[in-house]
Amino acid sequence: MIALRTVRVRLTGRDVLHDIDFTARAGEMVALCGPNGAGKSTLLRALAGLLPEGRAPDPRRVAYLPQGARCAWGMTVAEVAALGRIPHGDADPAPVERALQACGLNGLRDSRVDRISGGQARRAMLARVLATEPQVMLLDEPTADLDPAAAHEMMALLRTLSRQGGCVLTVLHALDLALRYADRVVVLAAGRIVADAPPESVLPAAAAAFGLPWGFDPSPRLLPPCQS
Amino acid sequence: MEFRRGPGASDPWWGAGAKPLPGSGAAPRLQRLAMLLLLEALLLHPAYAARVVSLNLCTDEFLLLLAPEQAVAVSFLANEPSMSVVAGVARHVPQVRADAEAVLDLHPDLVLAGPYGAQTTLALLERRGTRVERLAMPQDFAAIRAETRRAAALLGVPARGEALLTDMQARLDAVRAPVVRARAVFLQARGYAAGPGSLADAVLRAAGLADAGAGGQPGLEALVMHPPDLLVTATAPDFPSLGTDLLRHPALKQIPRREVAPALVLCGGPWTAGAVAALAQ
Amino acid sequence: MTRWLALAVGCLLVASLLTGAAGPGVPDTLILWQIRLPRTALAALVGGGLGLSGAVLQGALRNPLADPGLLGIGGCAGLGAVLAFYWGVSAVFAPALPLAGLAGAAVGCAFLLGFAGRAASGPSLILAGVALSALAAALLALALTLAPNPFALAEITFWLMGGLEDRTLTHLLLAAGPIALGCLTLLRLGRGLDGLALGDEVAASLGVPVGRTLRLAAAGVALAVGAGAAVAGGIGFVGLVVPHLLRPWLGERPSSLLLPSLLGGAVLLLAADLLARAAPLLLPLHQEPRLGVLTALLGAPFLVRIARQVAPGGMT
Repeated sequence: MIALRTVRVRLTGRDVLHDIDFTARAGEMVALCGPNGAGKSTLLRALAGLLPEGRAPDPRRVAYLPQGARCAWGMTVAEVAALGRIPHGDADPAPVERALQACGLNGLRDSRVDRISGGQARRAMLARVLATEPQVMLLDEPTADLDPAAAHEMMALLRTLSRQGGCVLTVLHALDLALRYADRVVVLAAGRIVADAPPESVLPAAAAAFGLPWGFDPSPRLLPPCQS
Repeated sequence: MEFRRGPGASDPWWGAGAKPLPGSGAAPRLQRLAMLLLLEALLLHPAYAARVVSLNLCTDEFLLLLAPEQAVAVSFLANEPSMSVVAGVARHVPQVRADAEAVLDLHPDLVLAGPYGAQTTLALLERRGTRVERLAMPQDFAAIRAETRRAAALLGVPARGEALLTDMQARLDAVRAPVVRARAVFLQARGYAAGPGSLADAVLRAAGLADAGAGGQPGLEALVMHPPDLLVTATAPDFPSLGTDLLRHPALKQIPRREVAPALVLCGGPWTAGAVAALAQ
Repeated sequence: MTRWLALAVGCLLVASLLTGAAGPGVPDTLILWQIRLPRTALAALVGGGLGLSGAVLQGALRNPLADPGLLGIGGCAGLGAVLAFYWGVSAVFAPALPLAGLAGAAVGCAFLLGFAGRAASGPSLILAGVALSALAAALLALALTLAPNPFALAEITFWLMGGLEDRTLTHLLLAAGPIALGCLTLLRLGRGLDGLALGDEVAASLGVPVGRTLRLAAAGVALAVGAGAAVAGGIGFVGLVVPHLLRPWLGERPSSLLLPSLLGGAVLLLAADLLARAAPLLLPLHQEPRLGVLTALLGAPFLVRIARQVAPGGMT
């Protein structure tokens, strides 16, 4: 279980998060949604204990995968996955094996992470998270730059992991993935939690947070032009 | 220009050259002579005979020994006690860098310079109508005689030149050739062994030693493998350099060594006889 | 691979002790102990320190171009040593020489890590290093110009291009301690450097003490490079070339490169020094080529090659 109560995070002179009261339980998959700049990544980093005033959680319990994480060196997939054992201070091959297996990377174990596709590299990064065998996984945009099929595969994998007892907390931009795979969707806007509900009931609040019209005909043609 | 002050800086002005370096016996004598000349000139001839500027340590030494009363300015090395035989006198003479503007500002009648260095400055001075004389670097005692006479003639004091040479000859004649000529290597900074045709070679031979150096850098290993009977070094102890550090390498400790004052052999001149006398003892 | 490198170090140590101007074969004891041993041991130590420092710097800064010489750490160390040596401090108190080199290197490391903390992008870090290196070289030349010994400026080649000729046992004893201590410090950083490969935040989330790892890396590099530069002058490119040569064999995981880079640096510098000594015996040279010249001749093409591999903006 991971809990965060009434935090106020101040970065470069402006409040990014206020009065967050948030709990995630084991076996649960929670999606964090919200418009750009809502504070999703900051919340994840706060949970990972990476903010200056934060207290770091036990690295064996909580694993964190930042947005666009990549490896500076041309290490092999197996080597990257094995980095997940650093918190345990061992080189136990069994969890690394299981992680590679779970991410479907068995055939790529000796390939360099800088010479495989973006989706494969992302899975290698996830394998690193799994190799820690954490109770809580904090994943920032794990499906970014994945094609739709790979994104669905990744989400299905994460859901399986949560069903095995892990707590998966993932920032997602793709609302459809959040609605389809998450047990709970938390919507953040301007540093506040504006909705925290199962997917089936969160959509009106989410639409409001994104500034989208919500009505009987959510046809893309009737939406206002995208303001990114 | 305020320049470094060696350990001799606190010496009385008449005795800077009397710093107790082995073999520097000639320097205080010459300096006392120069100081007398300077006093005599100041008392009896208030107007300078000629205004002379020297831009090189070796010409500084000739100028300050032969005609200190004519010296308007000398180079900054002249008052470095470990390098100059006229440091005591030079302390009372202004310093000048080899800089055309600074030299012209002194309105010299004559500029003395060495054969190397500052050639563009000298050419500029000559174009501006200043008389520039380049003295050679004498590499043996015959050349020292010739150069001393030339310097004395340029400065209009031939009799003083002859006096210095008579003194030098007396010191050289006092050397008694040893029965067995020891093989000596004159090892200079950065491990250069003086060879035939060098001033150091002339000093060794005049002191009755056989010069075993062949020029170039023999290297530590060769010196240890084929050690000479005597190692002669002339290192200023004042301030460290890698070049002189090498001469203190422990592998060379087993070879007998004689140290001569570097000021006596840095430039060839009548004072160089002092190095010969020190080695011949 | 590590075993082969260790074997190569051993062979080169023996070859180095048996080669010299006095001819090949077992020399006179005095030559062996007073001349060849300091030179040989210093080549191994200084080279090992440089190789390992290069591997650690590259790992810590996530930049394949990082090298103690290229980043100006060696230059800062040389500057410190010059100040201690020519002003007579080390003549009074011999350990002042390595200590001053160490202090210079520490200042350089602190500057670079401070810079890396604020602007972590690869090219800007290397540019900061190039600026530091130029500044150190300029200050070094200035110090030699102002040095009390009028011949000091002539010795600038030693401080910029290094060398191990005619070093004494004293030099060896002065440098050995700091270099060994620095290498021991750096060899223990493998796990932290592996974590840093994924970025500071991931490393921190893995429980790697990022700040402490970087500070230890800086201290270790200062120890391993500073004392060496104080007795052997500026020897560049060893730290750049060695890890780069080893990666195709050992992979790119930072921790797997540490010990091999230590050994590889020793191999490289021993071989270069052997070459420098052999050159006058084989070629009509009247002087040994400087050690720093040889390593730069070897290293500069490598730098060009690595720079071409690293696409603009590709470094992080």
